[in-house]
This record gives sequence, C-alpha cells and structure tokens, in this order.
Amino acid sequence: MTILVKMRNIFTGAGVCLLILAFMTGCTKNYDAINTNPAGYSKTNFEPNYILTTVQLAYTGSTDFSYETWRANLIYCSTLMQGFSSVVGYWAGDKYILNPGYTASYWGFGSAQGPPLGNGGDGAYPEQVKPVVDLIQFTKDLPRYKNLCQIARLMRALVMERITDLYGDCPYSEAGLGYYDKTFFPKYDKQQDIYTDLLKEISDATSKLDPNGDQPTGDVFYNGNISQWQRFGNTLLLRVAMRLVKVDPATAQTYAQQAVGHTMTGNGDNAFVKADATGGRITINRNSQVLLGDGGPENVYTKWSKTFIDMLKPVGDPRLAKIAITHPTWDNSRNPLGGNDTPAVQKGMPNGKDLSGIPAQDISGAPGYTSIADYSSPSQYLTKRDGPTFILTYAESELLLAEAAQRWGIGGSAAQHYHDGVKAAITYLGQYDDKATIADTTAENFVTAHPYDPANGLEMINTQYWIHTNTMLDFYESWSNWRRSGFPALVPVVYPNNNTNGTIPRRFPYPVDEANTNPVNYKAAHDAVPGGDNLTGRVWWDK
Amino acid sequence: MFLKVLFKLLLAKRGLAGHLTKTLLIMRLTAIFLLAACLQANATGYGQTISLSETNTSLIKVFNQIKKQSGYEFWYEDKLIQKAKLVSIHVQHAPLEQVLGMLFRDQTLTYEIIGKTVAIREKEAAVQEQPLPPPAAIDVHGRVLNEKGEPVVGATVGIKGTRKAVVTADNGEFSIQAEKGQVLVISFVGYGTREVVVSENNSNLSISLKIADQVINEVVVTALGIKKERKAVGYSVTEVKGEELTKAREVNVMNALEGKVAGLNVNSIAGGPAASSNVIIRGVSSLSQTNQPLYVINGVPMESQPKGSPGMQYDNLPDLGDAISNLNPDDIETVSVLKGAAATALYGYRGKAGVILITTKSAKSNSIEVNSNYVAERVMNPTDWQYVYGQGGNTHKPDSALVAFNAGQYSYGAKLDGQPVAQFDGVARPYVAQKDNLSRFYRTGGTFTNTVAFNRLFEGGAIRFAASDLTNRSIVPNSGVNRQSFNLAVNFSPYKRLTVDARANYILEQAKNRPFLSDGPGNSNFNVMFLPTSVDVNTLKKAVNPDGSEFGYSNNVYATNPWFAAEKFINNTDRDRLITSVNVRYTFDNGLFLQGRVGRDAYTDTYTGVVPNGTAYRVNGSINVQSTKFTDMNVDGLAGITLKANDDLTITPTVGASYRRTKTDQITNSGTTFAVPYVYNISNAIDKSVGLTPSDLEVQSVYGNVELAYGGALYLNGSLRNDWFSSLATPGKNNKLNVIYPSVSGSFVFSQLWHPGWLSFGKLRAGYAVVGQATDPYQTLLSYALYSPTLNGRPLGSIANTSVPNDALEASKASEVEVGTEMKLFHNLVSVDISAYFKKSRNEIVNAPASISSGYTGAILNIGQLQNKGIEALVSVTPVKLEGFSWTTSVNGSINANKVIALAAGQSSLPVGTSRTGNGFTQNIVGYAASQVVAFDYKYDAAGKVVVDGSGIPVSGDLKPFGSAYAKWIAGWNNEFTIGKFSVSFLIDGKFGGKIFSATDYYGYLFGLHKATLVNREGTFGNGLNAQTYYTGLANNISRLFVKDADFIKFRQLVIGYSFPGKLFGNVVKGATVSLVARNLFTLMKKTDNIDPEANYTANAQGLELGGVPPSRTFGANLSFKL
Repeated sequence: MTILVKMRNIFTGAGVCLLILAFMTGCTKNYDAINTNPAGYSKTNFEPNYILTTVQLAYTGSTDFSYETWRANLIYCSTLMQGFSSVVGYWAGDKYILNPGYTASYWGFGSAQGPPLGNGGDGAYPEQVKPVVDLIQFTKDLPRYKNLCQIARLMRALVMERITDLYGDCPYSEAGLGYYDKTFFPKYDKQQDIYTDLLKEISDATSKLDPNGDQPTGDVFYNGNISQWQRFGNTLLLRVAMRLVKVDPATAQTYAQQAVGHTMTGNGDNAFVKADATGGRITINRNSQVLLGDGGPENVYTKWSKTFIDMLKPVGDPRLAKIAITHPTWDNSRNPLGGNDTPAVQKGMPNGKDLSGIPAQDISGAPGYTSIADYSSPSQYLTKRDGPTFILTYAESELLLAEAAQRWGIGGSAAQHYHDGVKAAITYLGQYDDKATIADTTAENFVTAHPYDPANGLEMINTQYWIHTNTMLDFYESWSNWRRSGFPALVPVVYPNNNTNGTIPRRFPYPVDEANTNPVNYKAAHDAVPGGDNLTGRVWWDK
Repeated sequence: MFLKVLFKLLLAKRGLAGHLTKTLLIMRLTAIFLLAACLQANATGYGQTISLSETNTSLIKVFNQIKKQSGYEFWYEDKLIQKAKLVSIHVQHAPLEQVLGMLFRDQTLTYEIIGKTVAIREKEAAVQEQPLPPPAAIDVHGRVLNEKGEPVVGATVGIKGTRKAVVTADNGEFSIQAEKGQVLVISFVGYGTREVVVSENNSNLSISLKIADQVINEVVVTALGIKKERKAVGYSVTEVKGEELTKAREVNVMNALEGKVAGLNVNSIAGGPAASSNVIIRGVSSLSQTNQPLYVINGVPMESQPKGSPGMQYDNLPDLGDAISNLNPDDIETVSVLKGAAATALYGYRGKAGVILITTKSAKSNSIEVNSNYVAERVMNPTDWQYVYGQGGNTHKPDSALVAFNAGQYSYGAKLDGQPVAQFDGVARPYVAQKDNLSRFYRTGGTFTNTVAFNRLFEGGAIRFAASDLTNRSIVPNSGVNRQSFNLAVNFSPYKRLTVDARANYILEQAKNRPFLSDGPGNSNFNVMFLPTSVDVNTLKKAVNPDGSEFGYSNNVYATNPWFAAEKFINNTDRDRLITSVNVRYTFDNGLFLQGRVGRDAYTDTYTGVVPNGTAYRVNGSINVQSTKFTDMNVDGLAGITLKANDDLTITPTVGASYRRTKTDQITNSGTTFAVPYVYNISNAIDKSVGLTPSDLEVQSVYGNVELAYGGALYLNGSLRNDWFSSLATPGKNNKLNVIYPSVSGSFVFSQLWHPGWLSFGKLRAGYAVVGQATDPYQTLLSYALYSPTLNGRPLGSIANTSVPNDALEASKASEVEVGTEMKLFHNLVSVDISAYFKKSRNEIVNAPASISSGYTGAILNIGQLQNKGIEALVSVTPVKLEGFSWTTSVNGSINANKVIALAAGQSSLPVGTSRTGNGFTQNIVGYAASQVVAFDYKYDAAGKVVVDGSGIPVSGDLKPFGSAYAKWIAGWNNEFTIGKFSVSFLIDGKFGGKIFSATDYYGYLFGLHKATLVNREGTFGNGLNAQTYYTGLANNISRLFVKDADFIKFRQLVIGYSFPGKLFGNVVKGATVSLVARNLFTLMKKTDNIDPEANYTANAQGLELGGVPPSRTFGANLSFKL
C-alpha cells in the first residue's frame, strides 16, 4: 500500500516537472536583435539611390569579371555581327558553334553569396533584374523618391528589352519578384506581351517624370537631370517601337510618332557609364577588361573584323583613325599604350578562322595574311579601364528617326536625321577620350560627301547604325538591329562542324539550368520556340 | 547555494556575453531548484550511502543490493556464506561501514574492506590466528595481466580463508606473504576470478585474468554523457574504441570509421589531406539542411559542418576541411554512435541527423604512453583513357608550336606514331602515349604522427597531458598539413561528493595549399588528369617562363599548368583552436546529483589565397585574406536522482536546461593587381575590398527525462524537450520561436526470464522520438548591403540575400520509430545486433532553389516531407577461440530506403547541386530517394528511335533521375586473428546502389581521352561532322552517358600487429605493440571506368565529382608503448 502511494507520488512529481518544462517560456526578448544581421541595412535605414547606381553599372556587364559581356557581347554578338573577329579557340560565336554555357551567360545564374562578398550570381537576372525590381518596390510608395521610381521603371524596361531580344519569351511580369510576390518559378511571358508592356511602361514612366521632383543622386547617366531622363525615355521608346517594324509596323509607328520631338537633342544627351579603374573587377570597364587580355589572350587575338574595316576604310571614314590600331602595346599592368593608328595600314581579320594548322581554316592561310599583329585591334581609347560604356545615344536616336521618316514620313526629313545621326556617331567618339575627338568640320565634310540616298535609305541608315553600335561596343544592339532590319547584308562564314548549317545565329537558346530550376515553365517555352530552342530559332519580332 | 557559486563560475567563464545570459540562467536555476525540491520529497539514496529495507533475507541478496547502490564487490567462499543467518535490516542513507556492522553483528562471519572489495571470512579464524605460531611464510611476487598481456591495475589478490589481501600496483605487480598450500584468490571487476595454490615453486607468478561472462554489465555512453548499462538502453548505440582509429589512421579521423559501423555512411571528400568527411547516419533526413551528425566531445557539442563548396559553377576552391578532422585520434578513448532519434532526443535539434559522442582519454594509471605512426601514400590511377590518338584536332598532328598550343587539352589528333612532333614549347618530341602522367606528377606522400601522453593519479584525482604532432606531406606537390595538438584532462574531487572534470584541447593546424577541386583554373588535379595523351607532364615542369609568367601549354588560359598551379598558387589555412570544458558535479547524501557544465569551442581561421603574378588568366594576380573567428558556447545544468519505488522498481528522473550561443565573425579582404609583383600581401594589392560576414545564434532549451527500471529486465525511458531558437525571430513579428517534442524508448532483457544454455544475453528494444529543428540566422529579413568599392565615389548598393527570406518560419519536426534486438549466443561466441527504423521529417526548413529569373537562387521555406526506413545489423562470430589462436569475424550492413514524399505545393523537384559540366545535376524529386543524380536522356521519337538534329547529333530529351547519390546498401566485413603475440585484422567494405555524375568522363569526351571516342574516330558522323564535333555535341546533349554506378568493394584496411611482453624490456616498458598498417589497398570491384566511385568533391552535394585528388593507397607502421 505504502509502495503504491510512494509510486504515485513519484509519478505525479515527475509528471508535474514535465508539465512545467512544457509550459516554460524562454527568455527570448533579445532574439529580434540577435537575428538581425549587423552588417546589413533594412528598408528603414537604407538609401535606394545606391541601388540605382548598381543597376546602371550592372547593365554594362557583370561585376564578376565581365561574365556575360565576355561571352554574350564579345564572343557571340561581336563576331556574329562581324564587328570583331577572333582566332581564340573558345570564341565559339565566330564559328557559329554552340557553347550552351556562353549563350546562357546573359540570362545568368545564381551563386550562394550576396554583397558585399559576392553578387548573388552572374548575369542579367541576378545582377540587373533583381535590384531594379527591388528598387521599384522600394520607392513606389515614397513620394520623396518619385523620380527615382520612374527612372527605375525606365531602367527595368532597358534591362528587360535586351533579355527578351536575346532569348525571346522569357520571365518578365513575374521576374525578380521572388521576395515581394513569393514567385520562385516565374512564367515565361510571350515576347509580344513583353513588348506591349514595355511600350506602356516607358510611356507611363516618362510621362510621370517631374523636373521639380527629386534629382536622384545615384544616377550616373545624367546625375539626376530629369529633363535628360525625359529625352532618354522617349528615345528608348523609339528604339523599342522600331524593333517591331517586321512584325507589327502599326504599333511601331504609333509609338515612334509619340516619341517624335521628345528624343535626345545632342551627344550631350548620350547615356553612358564611366567605369572606375580603382574598384577592381567590380567597377572596371567590362569590354576593356576582356579586350586587354585580363582573362585570356584576347588582347593578341581579337581584332576588328575584315567586314567592319572594309566598310570604313574605302570611304575614308574619319572614325577609323580613332578606333583602330595595329601592333598594339600595353604597359606592365596591361593598360593600353596604343599602336599604329595610320588608317592606311588598318586591316580587318576575316571571321571564321582559327589556329588549327589546317590550311582551309587557319588564319595563316587567309588571303593577305602577314601577321596577327598586322590586323587592326580596337584602339587604346576604346579599351581604357576607366572608359565609358555607352547605353543609348543621340546618334542611334537620329538614325531611328531617319528610318521612321523614311518608312512613314513622320518626324521630319529622313535625310536630315540621317545627316545628324551619322555626324553624331562620328563626333561622339570624343566622349571615349579627348584624343579620340574628331573635329566637327571633319565629320560634317564626311557626311556631306556621303549624302543620304532614299533609294537605299533603309540600308544606309541601318548600316550606319551597325557601324555606330559597333563603335559603342554594344554588339547586342548591333545584332538586334541587324535581325530586325536585315542590314548590313552579312556573308556568313564557312566553318566545318558548325551548329547552324552555316547560317548566322538568330537567337540564344534557353539556359539548361532553367530545366533544372524552373522545369515546367522552361519546358513550355523551350518547346514553343519557332525553329527550335537553338541558335537558329527566332524570337517573335524576328519573323 | 552551491549552484549559485557554480553558475557564477560559469558566468565568469563566459565573460563578455555573460550579462546577457544571466537572467536566463537565473530562471533556469529556479526551475532546477523547483524540480529538485519536488523530487527530494521522495528521495532515497544512491552513492556512498546505503538504504535497505529487508526482512529475513539471505545475505547474498543483501550483498547484491549493496553492490548495486555502492559499487562495492563482495568476495567470499560460497560454502562459508551458506552458513550465514538470514538478516533483517532497515536503514536509510547509512554509511557502508555502519550497514556492514549491522549485518555481521549476529553472524559467525566478519568482513574487511580492501579497496572496492568487501572480503568475507569466518570470525573464528581471526580469533584462532593469534595463538598459533606463524608458519613459514613465502614471499609471493607476481603480476596480474589481462588477456592482451597488459597489466591489470587495482586487482585484489587475497589469501583464501584469511583477511589478508593486497591490491596490484600500476604495473600490475603485487607482493604478498603466504604459506605454502594456501590459495591466492585474484579478482577484478569485470573479470573472472582465478585461484592459485601457493608453493615454493611459484613464488613468482604471472596471472592472467579473463574477461568475465558478463556482457550484461557492459556500460555504454549515451546522451548527455550519461553512462548506462547496455541492457537498459532502448535504442541502438555502437561503440568504437579509440585504438581502432589510431593504428591504420586517417588524417580526418572520421574516415577511419568507414565500413565499421552499421548504418553509418562515411564518404571521404577528394580534397587531399584534412579534407572534410561526409558522414550520414541512417540516410539523408533533411532536404537542404545539414545531414551531418552532431559531434559531442566529453559532453560538449561541437558542430562540424564541412566547409566545402556547394557544387555550383566555378568550384575551383579547396575543401577547407571540417572541425572534427582536427581531433587527434590518440586522444580518443571511445566513439559512440547514437543513431536514432530516441538516442539523441536529449540533444534535441542538433541531434536530428544522429550524434557521435567522443570521449577523450583521462588518466587511469601512472604512465607515459607513446605512439608513433608513419604512413606513406601513393597515387592510384583511376583512369582508363585511350592512348591511340595524340594531341591535336581533326585527326591532325600539330605541325607547329602554335598549332600544338592551340590544340591545348585536346587529344583528337592523329594516331600516335612515335615520330617527332611539334609541341607547345617548340620542342619536337616523339608522338607517343604518356600513360604515367599521374605517377610522374603526384609524389609519394606521407603522414608522420607522434603522440606522447603523461598520466598521473594523485589523491582524489587524475591528470593526463598529451602532446601530439602530425606532419603530412600530400601526394599533391607543395601541399600538406601540419597539426600540433595539446590535450589536458584533469578530474578530481576537491571536496567530498564534489567532482570536477576540466579539459582543454589546444589545436594548431597549418594547412598548406589545400588542392583545388572541380573546375580547371588553378587546379593542378584537373589539369594533370586531362593532359593530352601525348604530352608528358614533366615537359611542363619548369612552370614559369623567364619573365615570370605561367609556362602554359594551351591557348585556353584557364588550363593552368599543373606545376604552376601546385607551386605558385597559395592556398593556406591556419587554424588556432581551443576546446575547453568544465564539468562540476555534486552528489547529495540522498543521491540527488547536480551537474553544471560549460563548454566552449573557439577557433580563429586565417585563410590566404593567392592567384600569383603571371597566371595566364589573371596576369596581375589577386589575393584573398579571410579571417574567421568562431565561438560556440554551451552551458548546461542537469539534476537527477535514482528513486526506489520498491524492490524491483527504480525511477530516475533527470531535468536539465541548456543555453547555446554560436557566433561567427568573418572579415574578408580581397585585392587584385599587385603593385609590386610577386609580393603577396593584401596591402600590396592596388584594388582592395572588404566584406563582413557575421553570424549569431542563440538557443535555449529545457528538458526532462524519466527512466524506469524494473527488476533488471525492463527499462523504460521518456523525455520531453523545449527549444527556443533566435533564428526564427523576425523583428516586428511575434512568431513562435519554440518547439516541444517528446521521446519514449524501452528495453526488455528477455534473457533474464528465459535463459537456455545457448543464450548468454538477449534484449529487445523499441523507441519513438520526435526532434525539432530550426535553421541558420538572418533568414527572416530582407537585408541590403554595399559593395566594397564605389563607382567614382558613388556607393553601390544591393540586396544581400541570395535566397528569399521568410518572416514566418517555424521549427520543423522529424520523428523516428526504432525496434531492435541484441543477443549474445553460445557463451558470447556469437553476437547479433539488429535494428529497424522508420524516420519521417516534415515541414523542413529548406533553402529551396528557385529559378534565377526570380532574382534569387532560392527561398527559405517550410516545406517537404522525407522518409527513411532501413535495417542495420551487426553479426560477430568467433569461430575459433583457442589458447594462442583466435579468429573473430564480423559483418555489419545496412539497407536504407529513402524517399522524398512531398515538396512545396505543386513542386516536383528541388535542385541540390550542379556539375561544372552544366548538364548534370543532383535533385530531390518527389517519389524518389533524396539526391537523385539527374541528367539529360536521349530524345526518342514515336517509333522509339533516337532523334538527331540537322547535323546528326542526338538531341537531348528529358531531364531524368537515374538514382540516388547515396548508397542504398552498405556493408563492412571485419576479421581479427590472434596468433600468439601476433594479431592480424583486415576490413573489406562496400557500398551499392548509389550513383555518381562523372564530369571526368564528360571532359574525357570533350578532350578525346575517353575510350568511347575511339569509335569511328577518323570517319564522319551525321551531316559530315568529325569525331570531335560529334562527341562534344553528344556529351553536351546526352549527359546520361556520365551517370555511373558508384558501387564498389574495397580492401580497406590491413593491420598486422605484434605485442612485445613487458618483461622483454625488464618491465620498464609495460608492453609495446608494433603494427604494420595499410589502407585503401585494392579496389576489388568498381563500375566506373575513369574515376574512383568515392571521388565526390563536396560534402554538400554528394554525387558530383571532378578535379579532385585521385585516390591513393597508404601503408606504414605504428609503434606504441607505455612506460
């Protein structure tokens, strides 16, 4: 009996103890503080202008060793467009060979470390889309950032246009909203829908810019000058609209008409990001870093294409002396020192050549071959480590207006716009470096000597556009404009074992990584590409 | 009062963060006092005092009670005790002497306490002894040894029928005066008693004791360091003795456990010396959190997460090792593997993936132990490349240095014809196969380990100090690791009932040039592995050109010259680590004990990585200096008591509380472009940036445990735990921070009730437990950060999170049911231990990968369900047991079936890792085992034919899972032979049912090294494609070609030992053992052509391999002796 009582006491005792445990509360008052990263900032104490600076910089290329600039802009776009030519083995674009990792580079991939130690990934989605979408969400309800928010919307349009131009249908409406909408597997919007929305977004954001509002301090394009942003917005609208001339000329005309009269007015309106050589690979000029051979033998083996030089040299284009040199030299830190800039010696390297030793393919077998160094390299002005990367220029604007005038008779005289465009495309080189300045009269004389001919209007305009965007080293734009306009008429290279049946690629395939991380949406988009999800398939506006 | 003092002590030790925890501790303290008070009401004693309540009971039964309560052994002659009267006694907390006095008051017997033994003799004998003249006494000297010939210290040597007895000394020796014809009785706890008749001829004895037939009393270490009799444990515990890890040793001690414990899946990482070890217990139980067990050293938890790379692009980084690899195996006494949740319930959230308890040595005698070990290491070539065609492209032999340089890594050249051919450096050499590049490049490595330990017993305590030095020379040139370790263990009793155990382990480790893994740049492993078939690695040996630039052989600047990578790259880690613990325990008269423990594991890592000036892909060089300061502070208090409800039932409640604070402060300084070339320090870098990565976590816990023991046959255990996690806190939100979870387990020793002759011991056990888990800090808030540089003075801001934070996180729960049996049969010649378990994890906190188009690489989510079920068994048989020869053979094996039951709603797969090839992945897929190796299949048309593209290359079809990266069946077969003084043991182990994605085979296709690329090498494919284009396209599109079975059987270990008897050295040396050891001797079976099936390069994403250190075999010798 006593034993039973004793046992009962023990069990009760133990049971009470366990109950006490279950209902105890921890001392968790300071847990909020413990779980707040002391090295980070929150929305309440952070300055969103700093994000704008990052977005503008990242649009010029990855903070991680020019990741997509190297692969997408240079290895692919520059050689597909026969602006550059290279015999470096991995320059697959020069030979229409598919390197799926390179073509996926612009889209980007994630990495485990965010700022300050990493960038959260390389390429457009992690480095451009993510911050720009966040910037809009951050500022949209804060009146003191009214203009910053509109600028962010324009930046998003700029960013998204290039992604869709390269890949076609892609995540747009749900892109970059992982945090705000908990959308982790964005759907791929139809390119048509994307373009429709881009036109609306650009129009709306531009109209809401307020010259009496805030002047965003993080803006490295215009230092917060809202009037210039208004002209930028309209110029961007014009460029986006003109993309649609093949597939939807009516819409193209409507929006071009809307932009007319509000576009950039001179090279002073050119948008560019001036790089900073002191910040290491994060802030150094993207194209320069690659072309100076920081990561490979590009400084020795990447040249202006024969097609490109042959376009400038016979007509005595004054730009040749400023953008091309032979026998380039560099200092110990591989800063460009210059070379022979005599226009007469400039010689472009043919595309589709290699160093295999096989006579039909090897560069040494090319007609007129003397030495690699005798081929023209991009000049020391274009490859400065702290040089500018051009985003959108007055010259582009004028050439697009020339085409609009030529096609639809809107916005004044095609000849005048052509004249202004080509001239600006010559004189803007001074923005690379004072020493690259071409006198106004020299430019005027050249343009006057090569007047606009409406009979070949579209070809002239778009060939000049191609020359200009090539000198901007914006080969993404060269490729897009070539695909929509068909000019200049480029002769494909002949190289065995290519992946396009000898045709110039029209599109980048989707990243294989999307099959892994976004399988359902990827498969739908992958299966829907006209012509197949490969280098020869086409984006919607490139019908 | 005492507790206050104790905790004050703890607080002082905690230093800086002390005040933060003070409130908490006082609270916990109150709880403990409360609980202690409510327990004390019914408390009866355990310890040095005895409580008895017996009426007319036999003396033997009473002795057993006393033995149970006090630990004292009784020593008597059976026929003597049969004369004894029955006794009645009722005492509470009486001292032993008092109880014995009462028991013997009315007996014809009397007793004497000798050491821990109570010797019983007749009263008369003592009385009669006086008047008789003393007969001629003989001085008997002798030595008591155990079965291994080691001295037994503290054994009782008594003369039968007398009160005379002595205890053996440190060397096992004793000396006693006895008469001729008297019988010496030699006894020691745990051993069978021996009797020896004294004669003049045997006055110098060597007596060998055998371990008693008493498995029942085997003690195992369980959660919170509580020692329990094996029979009382309701879950599976496997113990490995330290000595099994010291002879044939590994630089990372965990790798030495491979194949030795059922249910333990150990995978070494191909990262060279001191790389991490991937240890999985009972299968993967978390979708993306750690699946590594918790390591607990002397009761203090230590996290050991591998610092490997996660298996993403550009993983050309070294594996930085894990914390457990720092331990010196010579300091380890036992390793106890707690596999199930019931076993680990008291460790709570940290023990979800199992717990490995490590008890380090403490002094047991006055002695000096010396252990010396040297093993040499030689590379094994895992490849079977083609050696028909040489360097080049298009079946074309390089005809100039430039062409050879441009052909770079490719072996798509002409047939090797032995004729001179231009090479990258302009020198013409014969166009012949170079099959020995691996053995030319990798040197003979070696590891020399020396440990000396001083042991001293003193009144009321013991002290052990050990110093150890490890010098490792990796097979990778210019790489290795040195480690000095100092270990101090003191245990003493400053006051009666108070014991203090204090330990400190100071470890200094210098890892030099841990080799890169995976991708090629700067990775010597990658570049030597894929050298073209006709390039001799020694032709690259000069490494640098006269101008200091890399002596490259390829136009691909990322194909780093392997010698340049090994000799010029710097990749050093210095670690300075101090693990300390203090454990204070006070036992009251009534048996209530209070224990307080403070443990601190702190290390500072300094990592220096340099890409040197002249590197082809980064001419101006770069440097990365990372300083990491890590502290893990654990404080816990425990109170418990054993209560006796009646004769058969005892109840042991225990309550405790613990506090953990884990902090990391990491500063990374990065720089590029050295102002003065070849001077590698951060201040010499022109462009510098700095990054701060802090981490801070606090967890508070309270727990209680009740154990019931009934009649030595039935045991029941129940526990409840409540954890509060700081990492669940979201500023501005009041979410639930805690989780409460229970466990129950029981054991039934059926051999107590049913004991046929063939059954020595038999037990059934069962357990059920739930474990809660939270996550890492800073995952609940979106946080912004600045890049270190500015753009012309303008700050660059961005979002710090790479995964979408979650402000509504809650703790996850995992449950496990386990049943098992343990049996010893045929006088312990056969032992069997079998467990079956079923584990389920739900609502896991997962860093679920997202499409990068969401802006993030993943999202922190509460999702998913994962299950593991399996069986593990250990069968050990001693077929031969003769004097001078015995053979024991044991097989351990486990089968684990793992399945992902659910992920987030609407989600069917969750990526884990990505191979550098970009087309091979590991994923968790609903309905399949975790970590599926996933690759692109062929695409088939309706007729089942392979679809090809316009050029004739097969098109990739669906991404398909081909099987888990984790083996399903794991087995080890151990054999031990003893032949006189020789012992021989060997271990063969194998794993089956796992897959691995061989990126090495992928590059074998790309570079034309793989034998499969010989097919139609000179012909054309499809639309006139050459072999190189075809096989490159094939490799890019059809990655399933590189999914391989990772099955293997390896001859893992061989040890041949010889024990020298102490007398050989005049007993100055108390025994010495020399062993010849070898590890990883042969691969008896594998299914991978060009890789080692265990060649994983990251512990975080098993199933991926590339560019690791090739497998190697080690052989050497171990010498140990004791002074």
